[in-house]
Amino acid sequence: MSIPKKGNDGQVEHIYREKTDRRILRKNPWRDYRLHGTVLILVVIAELIGTINIPITKDVVITIMPLIFTIILGLVFYLAKPITWIKRRQARIAEGAMMLFIGVLIAKLAISSGQSLHLIFDMGPALILQELGHLATILILPLALLLGFKEEAIGMTNSIGREPNVAVVVDKYGFNSPESRGVFAIFIIGSVIGTIFISFLVSFSLSFIPLHPYAYAMASGVGSASMNAAAIGPTLAAFPGMETSIEAFAGFSNLLSFCVGIYIVIFIALPLTEKMYKWLEPKIGREYIVKTEEDDENA
Amino acid sequence: MPDLIDGSQDVSVHGILNWIMLLGIFSVITVIGNYVGYKHPMADSLIGMAILSLITLAGVWMERKLPLNISSIIYISVMGILLAFPGMPTSKFVLHYVSQVELLSIVTVFLAYVGIGMGKSWEEFRALGGRAIIVTMLVIAATYYGSAVVAHIILTLTGVPAI
Repeated sequence: MSIPKKGNDGQVEHIYREKTDRRILRKNPWRDYRLHGTVLILVVIAELIGTINIPITKDVVITIMPLIFTIILGLVFYLAKPITWIKRRQARIAEGAMMLFIGVLIAKLAISSGQSLHLIFDMGPALILQELGHLATILILPLALLLGFKEEAIGMTNSIGREPNVAVVVDKYGFNSPESRGVFAIFIIGSVIGTIFISFLVSFSLSFIPLHPYAYAMASGVGSASMNAAAIGPTLAAFPGMETSIEAFAGFSNLLSFCVGIYIVIFIALPLTEKMYKWLEPKIGREYIVKTEEDDENA
Repeated sequence: MPDLIDGSQDVSVHGILNWIMLLGIFSVITVIGNYVGYKHPMADSLIGMAILSLITLAGVWMERKLPLNISSIIYISVMGILLAFPGMPTSKFVLHYVSQVELLSIVTVFLAYVGIGMGKSWEEFRALGGRAIIVTMLVIAATYYGSAVVAHIILTLTGVPAI
């Protein structure tokens, strides 16, 4: 697969968008009844199973929502040999279509936000300052160094590594830099396991750590629509009767992570990560693992 | 597979038709899932999905057509907030129908597509190695707890009641 290149206007912001456009616009993707029919069946199965609560101990309950079933069933359908009608072509269409459907999700979150716009004025300081909490990712830098990453670690730990962050890192270090490889790795792996991981993480935390419901709502706005949604699920279930405000805080926080978060990354997170790298690398840096160099680019 | 096509045909009528059809299919699947899972009346949630799809379509179109370098996600967010803002004449209508569509119903359908799309890069992903997976999980956890803790401290300091 070709490496996403800079657009004609020299902007890097839409490196993924361009690829998606080509996919969506060229192939009449809506005609692929195999794909959409399969998705319909997956969704109906998942909704019929419904939410499953697995009690681990008396107070700890892991909640598995239908959304986990659909993502896993989708993956299984692609990988399972007997299923011949979901193949590479369908996966490519699904990937392209998904980028469009993010919009519907964002629209739903925005409407919840609009409905409760007054809350942002009441909760303003918390909502804005919690964006700075995302800087905690830099604490992972020493661990990445201990695992054998070099400059990749700068790309990996400056932020959660979603689309805006990828754009910032690629813009600053160039496409073929170790830093960009690092952020691509986080982007790809985050896309694959992020939603599942965060929903487990949230279910787990809700049972163990007594934080403010709104703090949980705001924290779920990590700057990724799908992770945001996956994190909201268990949070909604844990605080019944607060749906609108939780959705609103989560939506606002996610929106802030998109628009304000990117500036935090440019002006605070990246310089800070670089400083910490320069300071720590000579002290705890390990032997370079060259192997990842090729793999990371084949996104 | 030839993958190098120039992006000059971005917003053709053809492209918009593809977007409309895809959003239509997505809406129908979501409405069915929404009915099976939450028993919301299909007609109302279909109107809700139509509203969301129109906002999406407008946002995606604006990103590609307007000369500003702004992501569609921002356009969509701003439009959604404005349409639902309690002072706006559209707000009652929009809120009534959109509230019939559960957020989780949308996510469930969305993630079915993600799952299928993910299958394609499964081998590449496995080749990436466990080290990068560990770092990814730690980074996500750090982001999440970082903002949760900051938010909690400030909410507590400013005395926002927990319910």
